[in-house]
Amino acid sequence: MAARPKRYAMVVDSKKCINCKACVVACRAENSVPLAYSRPWMNEETRGVWPKLMAAFAPEQCHQCDHPACVRVCPTGASHHRPDGIVVVNEAECVGCRYCMIACPYDARFFREDKGVVEKCDFCVHRLERGQLPACVETCPSKVRVFGDLNDPKSKLAELLSDRQYRVKKPEAGTGPQIYYLI
Amino acid sequence: MDRRKFLRFSAGGAAGAAIGASLAYMKPFSHSPEKEAGRLEVPTTCEACVNKCSVIAVVENGTIHKLNPNPENPKSRGMLCARGNAGLQQVYSPARLKRPLIRVGGRGEGNWRPASWDEAFDFAAKKLSETKDKYGPQGTLWSSSESFQEVFFRNLGAAFGSPNQVRHPTLCLASVNLAYSLTFGTVPSFDLLNSKYIIMSGANRLESFITPDTMDLIESAEYRKAKLIYLDPRFTVTASKADEWYPIRPGTDLAFLLAMLNVIVGENRYDKEFVANYTVGFDKLTEHVKAFSPDWAEKETEIPAKDIVRIAREFSDAAPRAVYYAGRRSSWYREDFHTRRAQAILNAIVGSWDREGGMVPNGKIALGEYLFLPWDDPIAPRVDEMDKNFPLAAKGDGAYLKLRENVIAGTPYPVKAWMIHKQDPMNALPGQARTLEMLQQMDFVGVVDVQMSDTAWYADVVFPESTYLERTDPVEVLSGIAPVVVYRQQVVKPVHDTKTTLEITQGLAKRLGLSQYFDFTMDQWVAAQVKELPLEAPLEYLKKHGVYVPPGFPKYGTTLNPDHRFITKSGKIELYSDRLQEANYDPLPVYHAPAQPPPGKFRIITGRRAYFTQANTTNNPWLNQFAPENSLWLNAAAADSLGIADGDRVEMTSTVGAVRLKTRVTQEIRPDCVFMLHGYGKKSKWQRLVAGTGGCDSELLETAWDKVSGNAALHETFVSVRKV
Amino acid sequence: MKIIEWGVLIVNYLFLGGLSAGLFFVSAIATFLYKLDEPSPYTRIARLGALMAPWPVMIGCLLLIFDLGRWYHFYKLFLHLRLVSPMSIGSWLLVLFNLVALVNCYAWLTERQRNDLFAKLPRRLAFLGKFNYDIDHWRRRLAFAGMPISVGVGIYTGVLLGAVQSRPFWNTNLVAQLFLFSALSTGCAALILGLAGREQPVQEMKLLYGFDICFMVLEFFIVLPYLIHGQLSVQAVQDSLKLILGGPFTILFWVFFLGLGLLTPLVIELRELVPVVVSNREFHYNRILAATTALLILGGGFLLRYIFVYAGQMSAMQ
Ligand SMILES: Nc1nc2c(c(=O)[nH]1)N[C@H]1C(S)=C(S)[C@@H](COP(=O)(O)OP(=O)(O)OC[C@H]3O[C@@H](n4cnc5c(=O)[nH]c(N)nc54)[C@H](O)[C@@H]3O)O[C@H]1N2
Ligand SMILES: Nc1nc2c(c(=O)[nH]1)N[C@H]1C(S)=C(S)[C@@H](COP(=O)(O)OP(=O)(O)OC[C@H]3O[C@@H](n4cnc5c(=O)[nH]c(N)nc54)[C@H](O)[C@@H]3O)O[C@H]1N2
Ligand code: SF4
Ligand code: SF4
Ligand code: SF4
Ligand code: SF4
Ligand code: SF4
Ligand SMILES: [Mo]
Repeated sequence: MAARPKRYAMVVDSKKCINCKACVVACRAENSVPLAYSRPWMNEETRGVWPKLMAAFAPEQCHQCDHPACVRVCPTGASHHRPDGIVVVNEAECVGCRYCMIACPYDARFFREDKGVVEKCDFCVHRLERGQLPACVETCPSKVRVFGDLNDPKSKLAELLSDRQYRVKKPEAGTGPQIYYLI
Repeated sequence: MDRRKFLRFSAGGAAGAAIGASLAYMKPFSHSPEKEAGRLEVPTTCEACVNKCSVIAVVENGTIHKLNPNPENPKSRGMLCARGNAGLQQVYSPARLKRPLIRVGGRGEGNWRPASWDEAFDFAAKKLSETKDKYGPQGTLWSSSESFQEVFFRNLGAAFGSPNQVRHPTLCLASVNLAYSLTFGTVPSFDLLNSKYIIMSGANRLESFITPDTMDLIESAEYRKAKLIYLDPRFTVTASKADEWYPIRPGTDLAFLLAMLNVIVGENRYDKEFVANYTVGFDKLTEHVKAFSPDWAEKETEIPAKDIVRIAREFSDAAPRAVYYAGRRSSWYREDFHTRRAQAILNAIVGSWDREGGMVPNGKIALGEYLFLPWDDPIAPRVDEMDKNFPLAAKGDGAYLKLRENVIAGTPYPVKAWMIHKQDPMNALPGQARTLEMLQQMDFVGVVDVQMSDTAWYADVVFPESTYLERTDPVEVLSGIAPVVVYRQQVVKPVHDTKTTLEITQGLAKRLGLSQYFDFTMDQWVAAQVKELPLEAPLEYLKKHGVYVPPGFPKYGTTLNPDHRFITKSGKIELYSDRLQEANYDPLPVYHAPAQPPPGKFRIITGRRAYFTQANTTNNPWLNQFAPENSLWLNAAAADSLGIADGDRVEMTSTVGAVRLKTRVTQEIRPDCVFMLHGYGKKSKWQRLVAGTGGCDSELLETAWDKVSGNAALHETFVSVRKV
Repeated sequence: MKIIEWGVLIVNYLFLGGLSAGLFFVSAIATFLYKLDEPSPYTRIARLGALMAPWPVMIGCLLLIFDLGRWYHFYKLFLHLRLVSPMSIGSWLLVLFNLVALVNCYAWLTERQRNDLFAKLPRRLAFLGKFNYDIDHWRRRLAFAGMPISVGVGIYTGVLLGAVQSRPFWNTNLVAQLFLFSALSTGCAALILGLAGREQPVQEMKLLYGFDICFMVLEFFIVLPYLIHGQLSVQAVQDSLKLILGGPFTILFWVFFLGLGLLTPLVIELRELVPVVVSNREFHYNRILAATTALLILGGGFLLRYIFVYAGQMSAMQ
């Protein structure tokens, strides 16, 4: 494929995450997501035995994969991959078969019973269009989330990825996830 | 999502590229509000907690769609926490107060009759006047917590002639404020961003947000490689990010501090020049701390002596970029004041004063004042007898718990009417049964709130205030190392039949014959305030930006001049305090070992989570989802020995109450402590999500206060836990 | 978030789709097993299979549509053909199969049945009477054309799951084969059940038992490598197998599917058929036993899909 003009991605500096859930609420408001669902979610883990303890927190959401399994299985093309790398669901085309949910290795999607369609994080495309950052990125008190264009070597994102070590989740799923977790 | 836009966006490579080009990299994610039909962006100020972060409210077709952070404010930076984001619910929640209410039936039975504002004002004014006739104006009590319009409410109380105003500091930070004031003549801020060594005693900054400290701490601890030493009986989020976390034995922080002083003084590690130029009483301090060896402190605190020594050395090496952080809520123990004094002294002798990375006196911005007629000072003394009980404390704020004792006892005189503004004493005060007693002995209780709080539940009249997104407030200066001016402007018109505090005050004042003191509009008030700002059109500026950041801050070193007079008795930093001595308190911090829970009992401690504010946001559905019910943190080993499993229901009993809730058996707390979240087990049935759900800590906490400041001591209660 | 998105409706859909595919396939084979002009017991199999085949899959499709979040948007499935989406291919395949199976069903009606059918048309639809064609001679052509489609449907019900890489429990091409042979054996079983009531269907039964044994043996020899392969595979797959090797589906899998739904009928059928083939004994047809065997197979087929649909969704990569 020809070089894309844009490749939106997110870097997560988990060490800075304080599990405050601002991102979760911001997304709910921004995208009018009803209470029963959430586009982003928090991974929380506390390990150890008193008093030798450690805790780790990290946000997660749709990984906007390069080879999205959800898009592959979608029978109607409602789920599709934009040229800028964002995977979106076109609500109008979605029949609500939930095949994409089953195919997503990250369980990043949910079924809106009220609308009969599937929904997930879309990097707040409508905000990007206005020149705003995704809601969860903008609101984060400790700026755990860094959003940007992978193809732009000058972006903070590219800089972090070249300076720091990182990993992606479930690389073996082969979907090419685009949320990078700094180590 | 806007369908048209979506199509435009997804129309393939070409369109994607075009939009890409218009976005041009990430930096330009600095967005300029463009005109979109039906869409407005209104800068304003958050009031979901004490921090007053700057917000940009996005209004779409007359409804607030989203609250975004306003990056122009250097205190809140570009952040809005979970509560700030959930502020929308205050406006649109069906559970909010929508019109004035007058109680029918008994207090707490929950029967209300909607009333017109005229009726509500008439009724309250009549009751207040009756009380005044019978008991004098001192028979009324006016209590409030911090807010931009609190001033109007307080002024009404003062104009009415009551000496009895009581505010939240004696539930919160009175001891720390008094300790720093008596030492430095002011309460400084802490330059966490530039610090290299930070010690915190249970200041849970990464869950209890203070701007900009919370963000600074994360930045300095994770990026700038500052060292964070954290002391807390619980494994909090802050503990998890600290370089070293010590689960200190509760109530013994002073022993740790004294041992640090012992090492630093004993090893000549203090800043000699600074001590000589700016402080008094160092020789007395030297003698005083000799007795407090690290080995002794190890026994008290359970922190290894070698660590105390090492930390003391590292701390003094890092000074002046080293701080023992003051903390905010210091409503902990009876001896709290002395613990905070010891911190202040420690910070002073290593010279971390008014320097980058140390403590910095707050910058100041002058605001203008709207001039109104003066009223006479109240004649009667305060009912909490501050002069006698807490001679050094801030009189205007009162001492809540002593006040409650006196009101219930009717000494020195009866207090029979209680006006409450933006405060929920039923939850905020320990010993809920006593608060209820105090409420019940009132002839009249009026509450100004935005939701049916537990206190409102027992009131006679409830005045619904417009929420912070529906009103314009006075301008405020947020002090700090870099002080700013913030403005709260109306984002949407009130959705229901509600009024602002000013309007409520005016409504009452009119009926109490006090109108002459409140004869102005909010606009006039604000205009007078902003007149002094060095801006051409200050109001327009604030309306557009929501915040004004004066140039020239941070300023370091303004007081670093041996001739500088500190606002203390000696004009110096008082390591040894004559004023304490004169008032019969320990002039240097003396350690009194706290009582420890007898076997089978636990000390109950309290604190916050990042997504709740005090007791008052647990009914917000967007936040409640993170903890629909509170549970009792119980150490796994302790639970084992009691035969209690995770999720079991238990009954906790103290000398003043008993509550039942589920357990959270965990490794994350000391075996001698238990912990629960605040704001559950509500009495107010209108707080549907938390009414009768979980347990209410205020029912359990015994009444105790710090001896010097009168601050509540919320960690002095021992409870037994039994499976039910 | 909810783990199970596809529930019993989908289980039924997969089962019924497979059942139709099996019915059609066995019927089609039977069509080729006799000389055209001679009377043969196998016509009974062919006819019964042809008559039964379209209905389960049609019910299944309705269930599928009903399971959609917005069933009234189901037509959108047919506005696209996405060759990378098993569901898209499957939707088209099912339409094709439904058509062929219906026409084939029609082709197998006797003349009387056809006339009766058209006679029963309500007045307003009477004009359809002119479609009362005799297409008996199409039967073999339809069988020939439909066989690969029916195999496709049988495979598709497995591919729908097997193509999902993120669910380790499914992610092996053995699932498609397993579902295919299970489909064929349920088709046989349905025919056994259908014929069980008739007068002494000895020849038919011998044939059906023979087919069925083949299908079940194949099925069994796919289950085995499925388990072994899984055990030797990556951790995630091993973990996913715990669902049936020591998890919520263990009893269902071993006792009810493998034991009662596969091995028991297999043994019964072998016991019935082997002596006939090997020692040339007479085939003693026992109607109750035949019906029971058939029901066990049908139950096993249903369970197989139930277990796979549920366990698969519960399995996840690490
Ligand atoms: N057990 C226990 N007790 C504690 C504490 C603890 O941690 N545990 N913390 C202590 C501390 S540090 C503090 S500061 C105090 C705080 O105690 P309070 O001062 O009582 O503070 P809040 O809980 O914020 O309650 C404020 C009330 O204001 C209402 N309110 C919110 N916005 C508005 C508004 O715009 N207008 C009006 N009129 N009302 C509004 C809320 O609905 C709520 O009922 O509690 C203290 N008490
Ligand atoms: N998210 C959020 N942020 C807030 C608020 C809120 O309600 N929610 N409220 C604001 C207000 S009003 C205040 S006052 C501040 C309060 O913020 P902080 O001053 O940080 O106070 P708390 O969060 O109450 O935390 C007290 C901590 O002290 C620990 N502790 C208890 N006993 C001891 C002891 O003996 N020694 C030591 N070392 N630690 C002990 C407790 O386990 C607890 O973690 O937060 C402010 N920010
Ligand atoms: S807003 Fe940021 S710090 Fe808070 S939970 Fe989300 S990612 Fe973590
Ligand atoms: S994370 Fe899941 S939903 Fe998101 S693009 Fe990847 S496969 Fe699709
Ligand atoms: S639920 Fe919607 S988006 Fe997902 S696969 Fe089905 S049609 Fe596509
Ligand atoms: S990028 Fe937007 S849609 Fe995705 S989680 Fe963040 S706020 Fe939600
Ligand atoms: S810290 Fe959160 S709740 Fe407090 S003012 Fe800031 S955004 Fe609002
Ligand atoms: Mo506080």
